[in-house]
Amino acid sequence: MNILIIEDESRIAKRIERMTRDIFGDTLQSLKHINTLDEALRFIENNSLDLVLLDLNLNGESGFDLLTTAVSESFHTIIISAYKEQAITAFEYGVLDFVPKPFNKDRLQQALNRTITKEKIKPNEIKFLAIKKRQRIQLIPLEDLLYIKGAGAYTELFLVDGKKELHDKSLEKLEQLLSYSFERVHKSYIVKMSEIRQIIVESGSKYVAELKNGTHIPIGRTKYKDIKAKWF
Amino acid sequence: MTSCSQESTMAKKYETVFKVGDNHEWAGKAFNHQNWQKRLRLVSDGQVFWSRTKIDILEASDSLKPYGFYLHAYGEYEVFWDGVLIGKNGNPGQEKAFGKTGKMWNTYNIPNHLTRKGSHVLALRSSLYYFPDHTRIAELEINYYDDLLTDRIIESSYMHLFAGAFLIASFYFLFLFLSNKKEYATLIFSICCFLFFALILAEFVKAYLPIHYSQHVIQLQIIGSLMFGISFLIPFYLSIQFPFPKRKLLFVIYTGILLYIFFSRYVFELTANNMVLSMWLFSFGIVTFGVYKKTKGARLLLLTLILYMPISLVTPFDKSLFVGFSLILLGMFYLLSLRIKEQRLAYENSLVQSTRLRLELLKKNIQPHFLMNTLTSLIDWVEEAPEKGVLFIEALAKEFDLFNQIENKTLIPISQEIALCRAHLEIMEYRKEINYSWQQEGIDIEQKIPPAILHTLLENGITHSLPLKDNSIKFKLIFESNSHYKCYTFLTYATSVKQATIKRKEGTGIKYIKARLTESYNSKWDFISEPTDHGWKNTLKIYS
Repeated sequence: MNILIIEDESRIAKRIERMTRDIFGDTLQSLKHINTLDEALRFIENNSLDLVLLDLNLNGESGFDLLTTAVSESFHTIIISAYKEQAITAFEYGVLDFVPKPFNKDRLQQALNRTITKEKIKPNEIKFLAIKKRQRIQLIPLEDLLYIKGAGAYTELFLVDGKKELHDKSLEKLEQLLSYSFERVHKSYIVKMSEIRQIIVESGSKYVAELKNGTHIPIGRTKYKDIKAKWF
Repeated sequence: MTSCSQESTMAKKYETVFKVGDNHEWAGKAFNHQNWQKRLRLVSDGQVFWSRTKIDILEASDSLKPYGFYLHAYGEYEVFWDGVLIGKNGNPGQEKAFGKTGKMWNTYNIPNHLTRKGSHVLALRSSLYYFPDHTRIAELEINYYDDLLTDRIIESSYMHLFAGAFLIASFYFLFLFLSNKKEYATLIFSICCFLFFALILAEFVKAYLPIHYSQHVIQLQIIGSLMFGISFLIPFYLSIQFPFPKRKLLFVIYTGILLYIFFSRYVFELTANNMVLSMWLFSFGIVTFGVYKKTKGARLLLLTLILYMPISLVTPFDKSLFVGFSLILLGMFYLLSLRIKEQRLAYENSLVQSTRLRLELLKKNIQPHFLMNTLTSLIDWVEEAPEKGVLFIEALAKEFDLFNQIENKTLIPISQEIALCRAHLEIMEYRKEINYSWQQEGIDIEQKIPPAILHTLLENGITHSLPLKDNSIKFKLIFESNSHYKCYTFLTYATSVKQATIKRKEGTGIKYIKARLTESYNSKWDFISEPTDHGWKNTLKIYS
């Protein structure tokens, strides 16, 4: 685990650091604390990370720019903030968890566990996927998303208008963030279930989902039973 | 005015002719006055002179509704109609011996048998001891006797009602002024109303107060002075409502012009006319400037001023004067009501504002960023180093206590404000683990300051600064004062957070400070907040 803590309150940063070390123990490879926005952005750009613990209010600046950048990256983001009312927005942008201050070790552990257990997050309020464009971050509303195809460490987002976008997060991480209306139908595919017109059974017990726009998407043999039970 | 049209159907006046001398035959109807003069320049020493006016009665009078005439003439005189003595006003020729008797405005009844259809003669046997050069009949109106009497009563009673309204307005605004002595506009308006009331009275007092012709000049002087006052005050009032550059200079010039007109009185009507004209021109200028500056109410006033023009052209001077003045006064009235409304709104606003400021102050230590971060740190201290945690709680208690003390104040002693800042620094030290230090210089503990202003600057300083290399941030408060102003300089010695310093926009903190300063010092303050080499510098000047 490579973790970055972005927090301008020294005492709190130390607390997070200490607890994180306790929780991850030996699995922790690196842990870095940064207290300014610019430095944090630079660090994210130049280092490979697995998790960012982010305070949304840094030196009087809103950490929202940082938030959109963070969620477009390959790593998961957990917000630790004093402003509970920001939780909804944070989840809409696709953070893994929101830990309100003041927090204790149990609450932090619960949040950090999500990175390990890969469980789907509870509130499922994500509304956008943030993708990196040349100089900016673009937010793609989930309504525009048809299905996602894994492409190594990256993923490809296939949109309603036929466009294809790249996302830095892995299929596993996105699966964790996306709501229940999206289903991992194959080791390389996540599909929005409402877009499926029918499931075709091909010879050799190959299963294919036909989308409303005609696209065919393979369904994993192991997944088929679950999906059928759940959706049909 | 109403009788004018009737007069032409009733009677026709010819030109009046004069002759110095005394002969009772001159009263007769048949006497031929062909050689008489149309004007007498001077009849000195109270000599007797006669005037004759030929009048054609066009329609014989009804026996139950006799004719009469209304006469406005200088001098003491006896009145003859067709040779018959029908009235007497004083003692012509013997004015000096008998003293001043009689009045300037009289109404006479013409005996019924002398108003048959045809030609008649009105002859006056007069003397002009006091104004030997005023041989003239200013007004002669023939009408039904009853109407002549009642018309004047009706006219003057309406005018008195009108005057009463202005008297009440004058009192009302005087009391308004007494309850708020800063509002000079209400005082000026009150005086204007009173002068206008007096002007109406001075003009129409003749209906019931006998005025001898020798006293007429006093009446005119009173009217002239009142008009002078009004002509000065109306533009003065307008200049308060619609301020313009070089006010003092222009007013000195205007007053000079008015005084020149006032003292160069040869013909009263001309003097009054000139004063009103200058008043109109000057007011017009001021109000036009007001319209140009888009001041509220200026357009309406401009309209009333413009309306005054056609009225003064159409109606005779004394009538247009009253109509015009009342129009302008009503316009001023409207302006004043606008201003009063503005003041009320401003007052209500200020109440809302101070409530808001109080809430803002209260919010300072319950707003989540402060409270939750503090509590998180506190928990950590308690868990990790309980003794330090206790000290932290004590520091927190101190700040909360201080906030409670100042919560409902608009000004607090500077020492209390400094105590608040120090308590806050103590808390922040536990949270940020930075060595904060506080320095002060030249503090006068007698001084007062709006609550939590320095505290807000301190908060900003903490939030937007990174510690120096030795993990310290220093704050310094310097106080200077002289006869013009008091100045607080609040310095932060720290590493600024990059970029944030460049585009730091006005946050709620700075807004709070400015609102507090306005609340206590109106506009007599200056606040500058700027980055420096060593960190940040806030300068707060309060002018005396």
